[in-house]
Amino acid sequence: MITEILILGTVIGGIWALVASGFSLMFGVARILNFAHGIFFVLGAYFTISLNSKLSSVLAQYSLPFSIFLSIFLVGIVGLIIYRLFLSPLKEHEIMVILVTLAIALLLEELLLMIFKDISISVPSVLHGTLSFFGIPITYTRILALFLAIALLVILELFTNKTRTGKSILATSQDKEAAMLIGIDVDRVYSMVAFISASFASLAGILYSQIYAVNPETALRVLIYAFAIVILGGLGNVRGSIVAAFIIGYLQVATSLSLGTRWSEVLAMIVIISILIIRPKGLFGVEV
Amino acid sequence: MKKNMKRYLFVAILFLILLVLPFCLPESIVYLLGLMFLFILYVVSWDIVAGYTGQINLGHTVFIGIGGYTTALLQNSWRFTNFMDFLAPLPPLPIWLTILLGGVNALITGLIVGIICLRLRGYYLALVTAVLPLICIQLVNIYSPVFGGYEGFSIGFGKSLAQRVIFRYYFSMTVCVVSLLALYFILKSKIGVKFKAIREDEELAESVGMNVVKYKLLAFCISAFFAGIAGAVAVHYRLTVGTDLFDIPLMLMIILSAIIGGLGSFHGVILGSVIIYLLKNWIIKNALGLMRLEFPDEIILYFLLIILILKAPRGIIAKLSELTRTEVSRVLFKKE
Repeated sequence: MITEILILGTVIGGIWALVASGFSLMFGVARILNFAHGIFFVLGAYFTISLNSKLSSVLAQYSLPFSIFLSIFLVGIVGLIIYRLFLSPLKEHEIMVILVTLAIALLLEELLLMIFKDISISVPSVLHGTLSFFGIPITYTRILALFLAIALLVILELFTNKTRTGKSILATSQDKEAAMLIGIDVDRVYSMVAFISASFASLAGILYSQIYAVNPETALRVLIYAFAIVILGGLGNVRGSIVAAFIIGYLQVATSLSLGTRWSEVLAMIVIISILIIRPKGLFGVEV
Repeated sequence: MKKNMKRYLFVAILFLILLVLPFCLPESIVYLLGLMFLFILYVVSWDIVAGYTGQINLGHTVFIGIGGYTTALLQNSWRFTNFMDFLAPLPPLPIWLTILLGGVNALITGLIVGIICLRLRGYYLALVTAVLPLICIQLVNIYSPVFGGYEGFSIGFGKSLAQRVIFRYYFSMTVCVVSLLALYFILKSKIGVKFKAIREDEELAESVGMNVVKYKLLAFCISAFFAGIAGAVAVHYRLTVGTDLFDIPLMLMIILSAIIGGLGSFHGVILGSVIIYLLKNWIIKNALGLMRLEFPDEIILYFLLIILILKAPRGIIAKLSELTRTEVSRVLFKKE
């Protein structure tokens, strides 16, 4: 049981880390609490399914990887458009940002429900077969998911610390005015972060939907986990969020194995609230 | 003094219109208007915490839902079997009592939520309170033999406020008017001033000797109590209880109404909730029906909402009253 929790929890933790790092990045840099973040996750899976069914006759076996790449890009663009059109003019009104992102999330969810109906979907796996690890069979899909998640997080870390553009993101998150003074185009940074944040969430959604099933209402559950993780990890603290994502992942698998899947969200939320009562700024909290 | 007279006259006329209205309208619309009164109460009670003390509570629907489920379960006490067995053999209580108990239960919840939220500020407060209704929905679903799951359950026709819609309309109107009057006087009194002091500057309020903790908790308790009462009455009005009482779309409508009316303005918020409620449940539905369009009215509503927020982030009514300096708007939105 312990090894099972460790293995399954690491995979799901990797996926949550992708979701939460984007959510946290958006907050840390642009101070935007994006309630529409969960919908990017779901959109990724739906875009991939639709593109794959359209392209499979033309591209044959290359259709799936191509649709995955294309939909990650497309969801990134959706995130960018949402930021440019709706969030950028409202950034100073914090309640308005929450309201408008909530409304966008519900609107897109209703649209997905209208087009695809309330049916769960799964993205087909890129790899097939299983590997036995300490007597527990793991599908290659899960291993690939974990590998991709970690690779992307490492790339993000390198990008923000080593490249010039990445450093401008870091600078903006530390002090917006000072960043403007030294000539950083803050609005461009925000747009970039919106793109990265949405495309990370969509990749997470695609990976998740290869293992589990996704329907439009999953957006809300994902949002709960994203909240839980960023509260635990500290709002705007990307590294803290990644650690917290794995904690939540293990917790989720442990509860669903011992009490049943439906308890995992409740328990996660109760743990988070109790942590907040003791430490109001989260475990690795930073000043907001 | 003269201004006050005009104000009372306006309220009296409005009250008369509301009394006569059910005789001139078809029953389905009277039914809607009755629910609208309860919606007004949801919004005004939310505004106590959000508009007056300035804490963005995204979990207001918890209070509404707890009020609703309390009365629904107490009226159907057999549902407690195998869950809280000591409550199962409860004799049937009068409806007014269980509604009141719904309010009290919500108040206790409000106190607990208030205590949790005392140490949280800004975004953390918003996140934690946003999670609370989701926990409730999950719990309702886990114990579905008791709470009826996502679909909820019907409380039984005999548990209705009255058999005829028109009497239910009057009942919910009375509840609404009495509660609004109570809230009006609470907010008018020193308590309201202290709530506003917390919103303006918490540290300053504390440094002049105000007990900020006490008033913050008081705001949560008052807000939760009235929301619980409204939720409980709504259950007896519609005869069903379900997770829609907890759900995010309702919360969104509540926030939207308060914002359109202008946070922290008593009359504005009431007007805002009337506009949003009628827009959602009557105008958009009918317009879609007329155009024979087969898609959910929510889509239009969310779309309008997004446009609305973008175009007037400071509240529609504030904008309108700036534009039209008519007598009505001056009476209604007099700066307090």
